[in-house]
Amino acid sequence: MNPRALGAWSFAALTVALATSNPIYRALVLLCALDVLVVFRRRGTHIRGLLLAVAIAGVVALAITVLFSHTGTHVLVRVPDAIPALGGPITVEAVVFGATTALGIAAAIIAGAALSIVVEPHELIDALPGVLARSGAALGTALNLIPGVGRSAVEIRDAQRMRGWRPARVRDWPDIAVPVVLTAIESSMTLAESMEARGYGSTARTHFSVSTWRPADTVVTGCALAAAGIFVALRVIGVVGDWYPFPTVTVPPVNVLAACCCFALAAPLFAWRR
Amino acid sequence: MTTARFTQFSYWYPGSAIPALDCVDIEVDGGIVALAGASGSGKSTVLRVFNGLVPHFHGGTVRGRACVLGMDVLSHRTRELARNVGFLFQDPELQAVYATVDRDVAFGLENLGVPRDAMLSRVHDALDRAGIGALAGRAVNTLSGGERQRLALAGVLALEPRLLVLDEPLSQLDAGGAVSLMETVSVAASRGTTVVIAEHRLEHVLPRADRMLFIDRGRIDAAAPPPPHLEAFAVQRNSVATAGASQWSVRGVTAGVAGAPVVADVDLDGGGDVVVLMGPNGSGKTTLLRTLAGLLPALSGSVDRPRGRVAYLPQNPTSLLHRPTVRSEIEWTLRHAPDGDNGSVDAALHAFGLQDVADRYPRDLSTGERQRAALGAVLVGGPALALLDEPTRGMDAPARRILVNAIHELCAAGGSVVMATHDQDLATAVADRIVQVKDGAVRVAPAVEPVLA
Repeated sequence: MNPRALGAWSFAALTVALATSNPIYRALVLLCALDVLVVFRRRGTHIRGLLLAVAIAGVVALAITVLFSHTGTHVLVRVPDAIPALGGPITVEAVVFGATTALGIAAAIIAGAALSIVVEPHELIDALPGVLARSGAALGTALNLIPGVGRSAVEIRDAQRMRGWRPARVRDWPDIAVPVVLTAIESSMTLAESMEARGYGSTARTHFSVSTWRPADTVVTGCALAAAGIFVALRVIGVVGDWYPFPTVTVPPVNVLAACCCFALAAPLFAWRR
Repeated sequence: MTTARFTQFSYWYPGSAIPALDCVDIEVDGGIVALAGASGSGKSTVLRVFNGLVPHFHGGTVRGRACVLGMDVLSHRTRELARNVGFLFQDPELQAVYATVDRDVAFGLENLGVPRDAMLSRVHDALDRAGIGALAGRAVNTLSGGERQRLALAGVLALEPRLLVLDEPLSQLDAGGAVSLMETVSVAASRGTTVVIAEHRLEHVLPRADRMLFIDRGRIDAAAPPPPHLEAFAVQRNSVATAGASQWSVRGVTAGVAGAPVVADVDLDGGGDVVVLMGPNGSGKTTLLRTLAGLLPALSGSVDRPRGRVAYLPQNPTSLLHRPTVRSEIEWTLRHAPDGDNGSVDAALHAFGLQDVADRYPRDLSTGERQRAALGAVLVGGPALALLDEPTRGMDAPARRILVNAIHELCAAGGSVVMATHDQDLATAVADRIVQVKDGAVRVAPAVEPVLA
């Protein structure tokens, strides 16, 4: 698959997920995006951490909505009014609205995360248009340094701990933070020097990797962009609207064409080889 | 044609009143030229003149002339010189730009605007010459240090440079890695590339060098004979510590990261002596040291540490430096010592040869001086147990001698030392016992024959 086609798909999925607060469409986008993520993730990548993060973000969104929005007609329980901000009724409507918010967050995260989990970050950077190639190289280099900074932070913490460092006050943290930052700066200077020594910055630059664009990439990009375009158009003319469960929960309305747009985001599953 | 000629070349780093290079007059024309000198003498600075990193990247003031392959260094930028001058740096971790091997080798060729078809064959040719043809598609972060250094070399060879400059390329490599890197370099030299190499580990370089230059405080005297301290590294053991009562021990210890054992069922102890852990990379030496330090809880078994301070020197010791002066760096350790260690800062400065740089900013010092500053900061006072992980990596001969003395003094004062190293000479010089660590198991080697002075 071509990273640019994946980028187009990811953009389209994000657009649809954020275009409306209707939970049916959001759920459909989430479903398609999860499928793409699970089927096409790179060998050796783990998505458990990502799913856990999405779940936590969802639960937090749900909890905040439920605890702070005291509107809606069907009261589940009542938090004593004596508790500031939290006090008041907890309603079915607030729970549904919280879940809708969580769905939106989950769909957006998964659609965006697919980019980094399906293709290498470096492939994405290589896919940047020619004018950005130099910034791309700089960005790629920065990505390479990140694991090193993490390792050096652990090393430095251990070394200072063995020299008797015990973090008691905020004032003690610079003893770790300062050497970590200095070491990172020194590392980037060394790397910058080595890039300079390899001719970085010349104007007549050529390219090593050329990613191939297959018909399947056209299919994915076409489907995804068309889906997003039609969905946004439907939203603009009012066929698809925002939906709120207040004052009482209702069944969210579904437009067949809009639902088809969401399903079209599953195009990678049929077009790309697994 | 002369490859490079420096005429009365002097150089001052920005804000420095003392010249880093002082009227250097040299001429290089072919072959392998070894550049030797103490830490802080200006080796790295001279090398950086060959491709213009000094002064273009570092700034500062220049007097005199330097001409490389017919180009005046002052009027040509590094990226122009890069077409003909390849440069290999010390740290294998900090030279890769891209995440996969072949992609990274191509980086320099992309910058020079080599057409893509030519690029492919040059990348693979360079990988083969560097001896890592089989690693072409691999992710850079899965490579060992030795493989990464050869990757960096391949990136340089792909440019087909007429002059190859190497700045302590062996310091982070084990003996096997050093030998194979030097082999590749001498093949390049036999094909007509001029090589200039600065390296502390002269035993790997001297047999292949055609010529040697010495630098001392920024001055190069082409006619000077080799200074005596650059002879082969040999330390006479001046005392034979006798193992006293056990001060530390590990009993049936299994340890590792995230529940996965790296070392299993290890029994070791010591007291007032030097135990050296040797073995291949990844065998569990660092894990064992970290467990002994208490940084890594043992998965099972028991670890006993002595009552006093436990000092720990990590693999990249210079990264711990964070104080404004070397003196305050050493004071910091004493101030934080749990038992109110009342060691003397001045004694430590003296023991590690840091008197002259005591009031300087540690990160401005040369690599070797920084290492000694880190050693001083870790070993100051009288730690009851000193744990050293690869302490001689990238160290020059005088610094190694200082380290050996410090270890002897520590033991004479009743302390114990446990040290992981690839450095056979160091092991022979200080070890009371050598313990082979392999695949997570330990085997105590036959007693070391003491060499008496």
